[in-house]
Amino acid sequence: MAPNSPSLDKTSDAAMSRRNFLRGSAAVGGLTALAASLSPLRELHDFTNTDQFLQKYYKELTPDDMAKVLKRIESEVEKNYGVRPHVRDLKPMDGVEFVYCLNLTRCIGCRKCVHACVNENNQSRSPEIQYIRVLKLPHGSMDVEKADQNYAPASVPEKGFFYMPVQCQQCKNPPCVKVCPVHATWQEKDGITVIDYDWCIGCRYCEAACPYFARRFNFTKPEIPKDRLNTNMAYLGNRPRKQGVMEKCHFCIQRTRAGRYPACLEVCPVGARKFGNILDPNSEVSYILREKRVFIQLKEEMGTSPRFFYYFDK
Amino acid sequence: MNYSPPSAPNEKAARTNLMLVGIAVGFLVFAALFTKNLWGRVEPRKEIPLVDKKFLETTPWRKTYADFVKAKDKDALEDYDCYGCHEKNKAPPIRYDKAGKILIPKEHSDIVMGHGSHDRNNLCFNCHNEQNLTTLQVRDGREVKFDNIPPLCGSCHGPTYRDWEAGAHGRISGSWNHANEADFTRLSCANCHNPHAPKIPTREPAPGPHLLRANPETHATEATH
Ligand code: HEC
Ligand code: HEC
Ligand code: HEC
Ligand code: HEC
Repeated sequence: MAPNSPSLDKTSDAAMSRRNFLRGSAAVGGLTALAASLSPLRELHDFTNTDQFLQKYYKELTPDDMAKVLKRIESEVEKNYGVRPHVRDLKPMDGVEFVYCLNLTRCIGCRKCVHACVNENNQSRSPEIQYIRVLKLPHGSMDVEKADQNYAPASVPEKGFFYMPVQCQQCKNPPCVKVCPVHATWQEKDGITVIDYDWCIGCRYCEAACPYFARRFNFTKPEIPKDRLNTNMAYLGNRPRKQGVMEKCHFCIQRTRAGRYPACLEVCPVGARKFGNILDPNSEVSYILREKRVFIQLKEEMGTSPRFFYYFDK
Repeated sequence: MNYSPPSAPNEKAARTNLMLVGIAVGFLVFAALFTKNLWGRVEPRKEIPLVDKKFLETTPWRKTYADFVKAKDKDALEDYDCYGCHEKNKAPPIRYDKAGKILIPKEHSDIVMGHGSHDRNNLCFNCHNEQNLTTLQVRDGREVKFDNIPPLCGSCHGPTYRDWEAGAHGRISGSWNHANEADFTRLSCANCHNPHAPKIPTREPAPGPHLLRANPETHATEATH
């Protein structure tokens, strides 16, 4: 520092040097950026609690562990929705393999199945998550990629079209299961591919792997009005999901593993939907696969081997 | 060249301070905006209305005689009290117009006949029993009661009836396990088909999917997964 210019020295001491200024503004800028980048966390309302965080892998849970987990889920749901549900862990039954058949000659595209499913399985209403999409196709076409799913005529069916509801096809050879890096989704012995919502990390690989666009992701906290919550719940089924996890059709585990038909079938006004145990020769699905002739397994060439059969009657 | 001398040192310091305060305030404003997330969010989602509960209804669109009996619906059952109007042992005459089309008396104006293309099966006594109006009859003479009509329909629609028995036509409700008869029920033909005009009427569809972001240009499959 030149001795004949004391004034410069004075400036830096009294106010702030350029360096301090830069430091200060960098700090403020950095903190601001940090705050901004963390701000999405504010939308994580039901952030994982310790119990859930420390929970073991589904297949390693002892019955005691599971009882505790179910209790925890029941009180979480009660806290979030104000109603106490009944959550069960229903296991696959012996000698049962589920198959779905859908009669394309009957389906009229009324979409009642879509909404019955949402209602049964506690899907988010807004934004909307729906497991079933009903595709409208011109007669004679099978080009699923060009189908219309936003049709809204005054009444259905429309002349010259048929309708094809698509949901999880419960493949024998499911690509979604293969790509999951944490084994949060797997196929059970009754043929249902399930998801453990507490184990899912939300990477969405399975969504990309599914050729049927059957998997849905919870981009936000699911919104379910209290009075529409279905309190009959299953761990691998319709218990409310969190933000950031995958979900999809699971053949209504909470119903079907208790012997009942899925909700989409029970609401179908034309009887186009058929469900049952393929290992039972007297079930309607066995009858249909035996008696009817033309079956379509969607994108069968991909080797997924769906347990969902579309057919034309006559 | 004109040379302007540097401003006085303390004047310069004041200006620096002012700048600093200005920048700090600017950053604070940014920070506030960020945490309030005023522009980070894409325009707020439109609230999607809840679906009308009528679309969640699982009961079939038609009631049958058996349902009326179960519900003790007196008004509806009046229609089935044939001998409240008709004379016993006297079959009502069937009248036709000039074109050979069956004429429906005004007492039965709720009935619109249209069974099959070209009205192939419009003759009342193809199904009703002219000897005893309170029952139905199959061509081979078997009597069928109003509360269990599938065998009547089955007498002319054999293959469909067979499918129905197996659960492939119509709908079975309750349990998919058919080991125990008490666990499931079959809808009757008349729950879905009006016996007099069996073609299933068209209906209003439930609302379609609402796109995640309300952009009509979005490709359909992109919008819902
Ligand atoms: C409200 C009174 C009323 C009731 C109840 C009623 N009918 Fe009739 N029905 C009539 C009248 C009136 C006629 C016309 C009779 C005539 O032309 O002689 C008629 C005519 C008919 C005809 C002939 C139709 C035609 O096209 O010519 C049939 C068949 C018939 N009724 C069957 C029944 C049966 C079966 C029931 C019970 C399930 C029944 N009716 C109940 C009043 C009634
Ligand atoms: C394809 C068979 C069939 C034919 C043809 C038929 N009916 Fe019926 N009818 C039925 C059946 C089945 C029921 C009972 C349905 C139920 O469970 O409600 C019925 C019910 C009725 C009833 C009582 C319920 C009501 O809707 O008022 C009357 C009256 C009746 N039929 C009159 C007639 C007359 C008149 C004709 C001819 C113009 C006729 N039916 C032709 C099968 C037939
Ligand atoms: C006496 C014989 C007979 C009886 C009994 C009978 N049907 Fe029919 N049905 C016919 C004939 C004939 C057709 C016309 C077939 C055609 O046009 O190709 C028909 C057509 C139909 C169709 C097709 C209608 C369409 O326009 O697509 C339905 C559905 C049907 N019947 C339902 C029933 C039901 C339900 C019953 C019992 C209440 C019944 N039928 C009883 C003879 C009968
Ligand atoms: C769950 C409702 C439902 C029930 C129950 C039902 N059907 Fe049908 N049926 C349909 C629908 C939907 C069609 C499609 C044709 C249409 O749109 O009219 C149909 C078509 C038919 C046809 C026309 C031929 C064909 O296969 O397309 C006949 C015949 C028929 N039904 C007879 C019966 C008989 C007989 C029974 C009772 C044993 C019965 N149905 C029960 C819904 C039903």
